[in-house]
Amino acid sequence: MNYSSGELKILVVEDHIGDYILIEDYLNEEHVKIHLTRALTFTEAKEKLESNERYNLILLDLSLPDVDDNETLVRNMVALSNNTPIIVLTGFANKVFGVKTLALGISDYLLKDELNAPQLAKSIYYSIERKKIDIKLSESERKYKSLFDASPLPMWVLDRHTLQFLNVNQAAMHMYGYSEEEFMQMNIRDLWSEDFQTIIENAWQKNYHDSFGMMVKHHKKSGEVLYLEITSNPIEFDGKEARVTQAKNITAQMAAEEALISSEKRFKALVQDASDLIMIFDFEGNMSYVSPSSNQIIGILDSEMVKNNFFYYIHKDDVEIVKNHIAMLQDKKRIQIPSYRIKTSANKWRYVETIVTNLTDDESVNGIVANCRDITEFIKQEKKLISSLKRYDTVAKATSDTITDYDIENDKMYYNEGIESVFGYDKNAIENSGKWWNEKLHPEDRDRVEGYSKYVRKEKPANIQVEYRFKCADGTYKYILDRSYIVVDEQGNAIRIIGAMQDITEIQNYIQTIENHNSRLKDIAWTQSHVVRAPLARIMGIINLLQNFPDISEQAELLDHIITSAVELDDIIRNITIKTENVSTIDK
Amino acid sequence: MLEVLIIDDDDIVTLVQGKLLQNCNVCESPLKFKRASEALEYLNSASPENDYLLLLDINMPLMNGWEFLEEIEKLAIKEQIFVYMVTSSIDYNDKEKSKNYSRIVNFIEKPITIKNCDQLKEHKYFKSHFE
Repeated sequence: MNYSSGELKILVVEDHIGDYILIEDYLNEEHVKIHLTRALTFTEAKEKLESNERYNLILLDLSLPDVDDNETLVRNMVALSNNTPIIVLTGFANKVFGVKTLALGISDYLLKDELNAPQLAKSIYYSIERKKIDIKLSESERKYKSLFDASPLPMWVLDRHTLQFLNVNQAAMHMYGYSEEEFMQMNIRDLWSEDFQTIIENAWQKNYHDSFGMMVKHHKKSGEVLYLEITSNPIEFDGKEARVTQAKNITAQMAAEEALISSEKRFKALVQDASDLIMIFDFEGNMSYVSPSSNQIIGILDSEMVKNNFFYYIHKDDVEIVKNHIAMLQDKKRIQIPSYRIKTSANKWRYVETIVTNLTDDESVNGIVANCRDITEFIKQEKKLISSLKRYDTVAKATSDTITDYDIENDKMYYNEGIESVFGYDKNAIENSGKWWNEKLHPEDRDRVEGYSKYVRKEKPANIQVEYRFKCADGTYKYILDRSYIVVDEQGNAIRIIGAMQDITEIQNYIQTIENHNSRLKDIAWTQSHVVRAPLARIMGIINLLQNFPDISEQAELLDHIITSAVELDDIIRNITIKTENVSTIDK
Repeated sequence: MLEVLIIDDDDIVTLVQGKLLQNCNVCESPLKFKRASEALEYLNSASPENDYLLLLDINMPLMNGWEFLEEIEKLAIKEQIFVYMVTSSIDYNDKEKSKNYSRIVNFIEKPITIKNCDQLKEHKYFKSHFE
């Protein structure tokens, strides 16, 4: 038998000379170059091992004079050996212990009684080679360990069956905020986010003895959420079935993605689902985007609409204004285009109001963003309102009445032209307050009208009619018949009073004239009754007398009285005629 | 005895009424007063033994018929006085007003007729004087 690596240096710890010689013989028999060093006691062996001398192998006899306890001896020797393989030589009685020494770091044990040259040589070579492999192995393990510990990526080792932590690296501790001691008491499940438990559990069960990778959501010790991309591989760890997991923290990435998603959702909510029509086009009107609301507003699908030029859809009478406004965007960032008409799928027109923003500088847009609002209904309402107002105005002009509109809450009174044409006030110079109006009432009418106003506010009759005198700009008063109605809100509170002040001065004058007439005619009637009838009654009395008593004395005198009375009557009638004529003359 | 007083500012009226009363046998010589005050003076000193029939005009200067009626109430013999209101006016108001005076027995419009005289003689107040 040859050992290729040259001279073997062996320390033989053996107090028994016979045994030592036997060993020496056996070895010389098997190997040419052998250098033996003998130590008689443990103390001597210790001295030799602590010197700079290096040995390829130690042969240790367990029965030494200066050590009683075999185990202590073995432990001390292993400690001193500096990775030099040790073979224990023992008697038969110590066979059981010999086996035990293997666990203490001994390479092999040999029974002295069964010792022979080939067995010894074989054990020596085998022990040396195995030790070399052991050293290499532990070196590689050490390297692996430092790779694990120093890895910038968080890593941990789990029991493959229980998922209990077996090992964890610095990066993981740093990331989670748990200490190594804490980790060793924990299960990986403690880190799982509740909403991910089922997913991870399933993935792990499915790949029980296999590698797998997935995205998981964990919690830090602080409770903060972590998104991780993990790869997990089955390994043997300290003789246990385990798995090593490496994690990549993608939390920031996820947050960015979530922000992007929510931003996109916002965009979708604002643009895609909005009732406004949103378009992106360039200065020539070439469109690059049309929001889906186009279908809703003008009945054209966005995918169809985008194929045409923006100006194509605009009414020919409006296109010039729109083009001019868009051209202004060369200098301005944002412009509102006045309402214009766009064509619908049914070749009808919708009124839209548009805000255009120049975002040609913005790479993500690279165009003009137009935000169109459909205002057709509004325009229709406005047209109705205008025609209604025109009608109102026409009526207001056609009437000689002065139209008043009193806003109760704000104490504002508005007048039509009548305040100028009827009363002579400069419409722009008057105060629009209720007070101003009140002051123009004739002092004798004011209390009555104010009392009536209070009644109106309290009782809220639908229609109001009141007469009063109203002062003109020249200081004279006009008789007014005021007819108003009250506008109430939903709660029934009076909010406005719309009134028509009718100038009834002429009517009043006419009435006055008629009353004067009446008075004169009454006078005439009285005259008729009292004055006319007096002479007439006399005449009737005399005639009655003459008729019934033909022989009555003083007949001539009675006839004279008839004539006198007739003349008197004649005078009175003439007088009445003159008076009646006077009545007419005065009127004229 | 029934004394008849004609109180009217119109001379022709007193003449005609006097003649009618004469011819109708109401009174042979009725007393005529142009002013109400004069009649009042007369009645003030008149005998309480007699009844007095007054034909009273409403519209007179100085004291009209109504004022005269107020004065009568102050007289001692007021209970013996009976008044015929005689007016030329056909005024409904006057007729209504007359109802407020207890002395007024009748309200007649001028001229007084024979028929009026006949009714007078049949009147319950004066009937006794003509039997």
